[in-house]
Amino acid sequence: MAGQSDPHLSLFSAAEVEFLAEDETLEIVPNMKMDALNFICGDYGPFYPQITIEVPLWLAVALKKRGKCTIRPPQWMSVEKLTQVLEAERDSPREFQPLPFHYVEISRLLFDHARDDIPDMYMVRSLIEDIRNVRFHKVETGLETISARTHAVKLKNLSAMEVNIVRPFVVRTLQAFYKHDSPQMIQHPDRMANRQPQVADRGPRRDLRRR
Amino acid sequence: MAQYYNIDDIIMEEEIILVVFQVAANGVGLLDPSAETNSVEQGSKVELPFWLAQELHLRQAVAMNVLACFNQKTRKEIQADAACVDLRNRCPYFYELGCKIAPLVGDRTIGSFLLYTFSSRYKEVLSKAHSAAFAVAPKFLTLLTKEETHLYEAARSSMAAFKKWRTGGPRFERASILGIKRKPAN
Repeated sequence: MAGQSDPHLSLFSAAEVEFLAEDETLEIVPNMKMDALNFICGDYGPFYPQITIEVPLWLAVALKKRGKCTIRPPQWMSVEKLTQVLEAERDSPREFQPLPFHYVEISRLLFDHARDDIPDMYMVRSLIEDIRNVRFHKVETGLETISARTHAVKLKNLSAMEVNIVRPFVVRTLQAFYKHDSPQMIQHPDRMANRQPQVADRGPRRDLRRR
Repeated sequence: MAQYYNIDDIIMEEEIILVVFQVAANGVGLLDPSAETNSVEQGSKVELPFWLAQELHLRQAVAMNVLACFNQKTRKEIQADAACVDLRNRCPYFYELGCKIAPLVGDRTIGSFLLYTFSSRYKEVLSKAHSAAFAVAPKFLTLLTKEETHLYEAARSSMAAFKKWRTGGPRFERASILGIKRKPAN
């Protein structure tokens, strides 16, 4: 993809993932009146004071920096919801809880620019950090179960930033395992005479996470 | 041929292998340090780099012995505890060389042996690569072969990049060339 900064590692840099995350929409409350903004990606409709309007994150941050709006934190960013998610993450050791795909990036951008718009900011911040640590720990324990018989690794509900971190490692691991497990390498001793190509039986399909 | 330009492949093929000459060769006495005349006797043991040994083997001029790093001693060590064996000391291109040698030498067990080694080392060391603390790292790093280090570095660098992003900082970096002040030309 054009956004990859290091094609050798097939890795998006963190800033690129953040850039992609800025397309998510959220609600703002403008404090001034402005005409509709017409962009190539869409029109964002006339702004009236104290009337909530939905805009993408990049526009919300830009308006906030100029002091023209206040940002309403998204639904999932309340202390109650996050505590629920954290409890559920700790209770289920093999599953990930559904969270917005870009929750890490959205929360970081909001903490940097809209600090006063989020109630209980420190609590929310520490909750998100805890959730992130628990989820990453689960990813790591899951990585240990990759063995020679793994065709593919499926991780449900993993967020964009977490995927970005493990992507080069998992890709290379699977390649290395595939190289070592190919049928030419593992030969039965009695098949030395006739070298027919034989489809290796790779065992039943096994997901990293149970459904 | 796909690996012709791969630098790791080139360095890997420099590894020394012990071969036994099946024919007498004239004019290449340099290869055998114990030869009096400028030729190599039939049946003499010579150390050759892998690229040369492979070509001569295909022409049936030499017979390749098993490498030192695949002998019984190493196998026993790996079966005892795979994660603590210092593979970099023996042969930094352990897996690659094994993959290349297996079809040449008539040894069918190398493939499964490599798989076993890799999967047990992966389980112990590499799966913890992401969050390994810096104190633990040097101890393990010196034991890994080139390919394993490759994996390890991938995990480590992506984690470091994420942490750097998380601590924040300016989104736009000033290009370093703008900071260079020209001296007035006198």
